[in-house]
Amino acid sequence: MKLFELLKEEFVVAQLQSSQKEDVINELINLFKNDPRVANLEKVREAVLEREKIMSTGVGKGFAIPHGKTAAVNDILAAFGKTKSPIEYQALDSQPVNLIFLLVGKDNLVSRHIKLLSRISRMMNKDDFRGKLIEASSKEDIIELFKKEEESYFEV
Amino acid sequence: MIAIEYILIIGASLIILSIAIAKLFDNLGVPTLILFIGVGILAGSEGPGGIYFDDAGFAQSIGIIALIFILFAGGLDTNWKSVKHTAWHAVSLSTAGVFLTSIFIAVFLTVFFDFRFILGLLIGSIISSTDAAAVFSILRSKNISLKGKVKSILELESGSNDPMAVFLTVGCIQLLTIPEKTVLDIALLFIFQMGLGSAFGFLFGKGLVILINQLKFSYEGIYPVFTLAFAILVFGFTTLLNGSGFLAVYILGLVVGNSSFVQKRSMIRFFDGLAWLSQIAMFLTLGLLVFPNQIIAVIGLGLLISLFLIFVARPLSVFLSLSLLKLNWREMTLISWVGLRGAVPIILATFPMLAGLPDAEMIFNVVFFIVITSALLQGWSLPLAAKWLKLDEPFKPKISYPMEFNPSEDSDTEVIDLIIPYNSQITGKTLAELDFPADSRIVMIWRNEKCIIPGGGTILETGDALLILVNKNNIERVKEIITPIHPS
Repeated sequence: MKLFELLKEEFVVAQLQSSQKEDVINELINLFKNDPRVANLEKVREAVLEREKIMSTGVGKGFAIPHGKTAAVNDILAAFGKTKSPIEYQALDSQPVNLIFLLVGKDNLVSRHIKLLSRISRMMNKDDFRGKLIEASSKEDIIELFKKEEESYFEV
Repeated sequence: MIAIEYILIIGASLIILSIAIAKLFDNLGVPTLILFIGVGILAGSEGPGGIYFDDAGFAQSIGIIALIFILFAGGLDTNWKSVKHTAWHAVSLSTAGVFLTSIFIAVFLTVFFDFRFILGLLIGSIISSTDAAAVFSILRSKNISLKGKVKSILELESGSNDPMAVFLTVGCIQLLTIPEKTVLDIALLFIFQMGLGSAFGFLFGKGLVILINQLKFSYEGIYPVFTLAFAILVFGFTTLLNGSGFLAVYILGLVVGNSSFVQKRSMIRFFDGLAWLSQIAMFLTLGLLVFPNQIIAVIGLGLLISLFLIFVARPLSVFLSLSLLKLNWREMTLISWVGLRGAVPIILATFPMLAGLPDAEMIFNVVFFIVITSALLQGWSLPLAAKWLKLDEPFKPKISYPMEFNPSEDSDTEVIDLIIPYNSQITGKTLAELDFPADSRIVMIWRNEKCIIPGGGTILETGDALLILVNKNNIERVKEIITPIHPS
């Protein structure tokens, strides 16, 4: 399963409207509103916020990856957004966050879910990739960046 | 009337015995059909079991119900994307191929045994459908799989040729019993049956998917039950309106199995189990129904038809119906050889009995014998044939992920996945150095697309994603362990 294939245009936001942690997460979750793979959007919200409550998913360097698993979806869904300016996210390195990747998976796809988390984490750890994402101004550019980065990730 | 507890004890014991025997013979590559029918025969009036059973109507009802479930489960489990490219091969085999097989058998019986052509055609139709499930279970027990197109052609063929065989059988019986029926009537009926069957299967399939997605049942277990009732309904309606109910349920399964909906996984498991139960119940019943002593009388005829079917009729019809569809001779030879006959012919053989045809007993016994010889001869030689034709490859088990875990609500333990923060001080350290709380564990580490089951000496890296089991009371402690960040 490729990340850039999960990131359809409708799931990418070049500039998020919200500036509070929970609002930003909600804004991304709402992108799944009309997706047939989602049986219940509120359950998705619950799962993601619940996981966030246990431990912040702000993993440092301005990047956060809110995620959750729930029976209310039947696949793995992803969304990505950038905030206008860095926001307070209670990140583990206490730095503000501006790049946010949301991953929602069906509850019994545990391994596939973690595998993607690990891949995203590796990719986002690269300074130049984060830099390019911050500069990108359109959805298309963002998806293209993910595509290229993921390809080079698999070449290594 | 026998008390219910006796019936239950006998039924359940036979099922358990069948499963035990199937397990025992697992590595020998004997088709399960033979084993289950064998149990049925032994339990029957001529075996030590001594159960007298000759109710062909009851056996047929069991057979039809079982076939509905087996076909639906088969469709449900067929990945359309991976077999799509062979759809024409399969359709050609299950229409032209099945028809040609029946014709060849009819000619053979007419020329050499003086049968009436229609009677010959009836026998040909009854034995014209194949059973791929038997093929794959034999291959799996030998840990081999088939290469390329052959596998998906066989899979799709065996699901779609049963409706055709049912149709031809019913058509022949009509020609034999209703004098005013003409071949043209039957041909028109064919178009109508298959047209209505596929249309209903497709439309109701789409409808069912929408229903499942819209109706929010509170209990997961309701979904398969709802689907089950729906499938039976579609079969009933289609048949009532003179369409092919079997084709409709198979296509219904295909459509549903290849759409996305929430409870799919549990649904497939449910129907997989149901298909097994159906198979066992059906074979046991058919084993009980047959009287081996009567088979002896038809061994000569049965054996000759079997050999003709295996060595002439099936290969000829395979080569003819696939002639336009670029396959090499090795592929076509293998497809010819794995035309194993399964339960469907035996179920169809009860049709003439219920229609009251004079030769019904003979037909049933001949068909029974043919199915057994085909399953034994082709079943046993199958791995060898695949090897000779260089179309075998190692069996790849379905990818199963190392863990499926649902945390229980009444335990203090949470399962969480966690990305190690960037620049965390724990990277480069071994797990043993971490001082994790005693009741919490790192269960899995995913790194570079691979899963690592960690030990005390495993070193953590940046980018690792962890699955941890952690006592709720210790989450803060775990956080303290992983958070100290190196200044970047």
